Amino acid sequence: MASQDMTDRLDRHALVMAIWTPAVFAAAALLHRGVLVGGAWWIAAGFAALLLAFAGHVIANTVLGTGFTPGETALGLAVFAAALGALLLSALVGPDGIGADVYLALGLGFAALVVAVVAYLVIAHGPRRAFEKFDVIRDNNARRASRLPHRGGRR
Amino acid sequence: MTALLLSCLILVALYALYIAARVARIGAAPETFLDAGGTLPGWSVIFLLPGLAMTALGVERHLGLVARFGLQASHVAVGIVLLAMAALLIWNRLWFAARIAGLGSPGAALGQFYGSITLRIAVLILALLFALPFAADVLSFAAALLETATQGLLPRAAGAWLLAIALTIPAIVGGWRGTVLTLAMLSLSLLALLPGVTVLTELTAAERGFPVMPIVVADGILWDRLPGVVRYIGGVGKHVPQEGIFTAVAVSSSALALLGLVLSPPALYLGQTLRAGRSFGVASVWLTGGLTAGLVVLCGPVLAGRLSGGVPALAAALHEAEPLAGTALFLLLLLPVLLAVSFLVTGGALIWTRELVVAYLFPGLAPEAQRFAARVAIAFTFFFMAFMASFLPLTSAVLASVALPLSVQLLPALLGLAFFRWIGRGAVLAGLTLGCLIVVFTEPLGLILFEGLFVDLPWGRWPLGIHSAAWGLVFNLLLVLLSATVTQRAPDRFQRDRLHDALLAATGLRVGGRGLLWALALLWGFFAYGPGAILGNTFFSDPIFAPGPAAALGVPSLWVWQILFWLLGVVLVWWLAYRLGFGRTSEDRIKPITLGEAPGLRVPDWLAAGVARVTGRGTLPAGPVEAPRRRAARR
Repeated sequence: MASQDMTDRLDRHALVMAIWTPAVFAAAALLHRGVLVGGAWWIAAGFAALLLAFAGHVIANTVLGTGFTPGETALGLAVFAAALGALLLSALVGPDGIGADVYLALGLGFAALVVAVVAYLVIAHGPRRAFEKFDVIRDNNARRASRLPHRGGRR
Repeated sequence: MTALLLSCLILVALYALYIAARVARIGAAPETFLDAGGTLPGWSVIFLLPGLAMTALGVERHLGLVARFGLQASHVAVGIVLLAMAALLIWNRLWFAARIAGLGSPGAALGQFYGSITLRIAVLILALLFALPFAADVLSFAAALLETATQGLLPRAAGAWLLAIALTIPAIVGGWRGTVLTLAMLSLSLLALLPGVTVLTELTAAERGFPVMPIVVADGILWDRLPGVVRYIGGVGKHVPQEGIFTAVAVSSSALALLGLVLSPPALYLGQTLRAGRSFGVASVWLTGGLTAGLVVLCGPVLAGRLSGGVPALAAALHEAEPLAGTALFLLLLLPVLLAVSFLVTGGALIWTRELVVAYLFPGLAPEAQRFAARVAIAFTFFFMAFMASFLPLTSAVLASVALPLSVQLLPALLGLAFFRWIGRGAVLAGLTLGCLIVVFTEPLGLILFEGLFVDLPWGRWPLGIHSAAWGLVFNLLLVLLSATVTQRAPDRFQRDRLHDALLAATGLRVGGRGLLWALALLWGFFAYGPGAILGNTFFSDPIFAPGPAAALGVPSLWVWQILFWLLGVVLVWWLAYRLGFGRTSEDRIKPITLGEAPGLRVPDWLAAGVARVTGRGTLPAGPVEAPRRRAARR
């Protein structure tokens, strides 16, 4: 039998999907248009749609008292890496002149996404805890004593 | 464009299936298939109510009317604010009634509150009207549009069946929760598509459009003003005035008809199955009254101004500029249909299962069997709906025309349940009967039947240009008021008082004594879409208090009037939601009660004794009259 917790998680998942689906469609249309006609403003609008969805996701997390799930984080990183890789590959091995008009706009867009994520982490967790989320070296001491407060309270 | 459009529709179907499968996999109790356990998340109605508002308006129909009649047709969009108010007030009270007295579905709420089987049957008939002909009519339109978009690759009948199958499977798998969660996404997409398509159209168009250029309409039609308050002419089919059909009373009555969807049984059921919280306020104030009404008022005329060549021509032009933009235009017209069909058919089938199968046919049905029965009902309803959409489009259209106005006739009954305890069963039934009769005879259904069997009626559809919903409701309310005056001490009053007292204790909301608010609401309605709206024709271009024409605004005065009263309307809804507290629901102060049969009126003892003495038969009351006899017998 389903617990309330499972239902809540499903509802949150559906909410996140509902936020991202129209945003991704809008971003795809705008970015495609931008790449086709070489318009920086179209590309900016496309990234704005993505940033809007990200803001919506953060608001949903705040209202529901949750955070990004590991699956969401992994999917976001994978998609971001794939998109960045595709951009770099097209610049390196593509025919001369391909997308020369749009590299700057796309690069700035990707940078804006990174800035948004970093800003979210700093605002939500503070500078120290935001850094600790990536500080795997700090957590490599498996001994239980390392978690004691007088030894730094690791983890 | 065909491949892109079909790909998007397939993605929508896969999305619905994914959400439904996730709902099914959490292994919830079987009975929650029918009502989501009354714990639908608040955000679902926040997103879904705007979609329902756009469905009630009919995006394609509205844009078509604005393209044909100009801003006078666009004025109906202000009615979305009225729709938001109605949803807020009625859904809030029905939610509390569901929790206080266990009235978990609209039929149970009205039937048990008034102690009337007839009202239960009326709700079931309405649910059927929305689930079959109404849904079939809109699906038939969607299939025809799909045929046009795919250049005949997908014939209308095949399109109708494919769309129906794509909606049936997720509904059967995911039940009420799965359906609502999916439709919330579609509704949010609509909110993004309307401004998105409008902006893309304007940015990629070669020529300037509205408001710089006027909306191109036929000669004689007043595209930038309302053609009067009322026209003393026959209805549609008898006489169509050259200046346009949207007079002030036509606009107000059409706005009233929009309420039909939020008062429809599936929509009431949605309100009853929500979790407690602040969702009603957010949904009605910000998303529906604010964003949706604003988008339709602002973007409607702009987009409609580009539709003089028809939807396919505009879609082709957009496709040339950006392939996804052309697809987005078709999605903007198709998604409301998918939303309406899925919502009304699934909701209708579930209501029928609860009200008929579980309540009457098999009262002791096990939860698993209830879920199975609901799945069978959903499958059959979708099948018959798709059958009607494919093979009976004309019949569906005729029957569908009465669905919204008939639904509006439930308003007095719902007001009685929600606010006015003095409205009794007799009054409601009398008003409902008269209202429904008037609706039928001012719509094609009654006109075709009567004129086919007997003689031609002197009026056409919507006499004097007034929507049938308003004709029915005026006479309905009149009869309810008259009947209520003579049924104040009806035996069912006791039960009504109990529920109203419990409602008051649970909500702490008194609607009386708010003279300023109700006066402002009436004043707003009078000027926003009532007879006072006629002032908007020239109020900002040729003010009545100024000696001459004002400086050119650059936009029609009526459009500014619509924007102004949309904004004022949002303030009113905000007042209702947040200042009065209708935007919030809570289970904290609820004390459950059980509504039962009303006790019969007790005949006064002196009267009963007198009658018994005169007639020499009958039973004397076992009160003070009986007591001396018993004492005498003991002696």
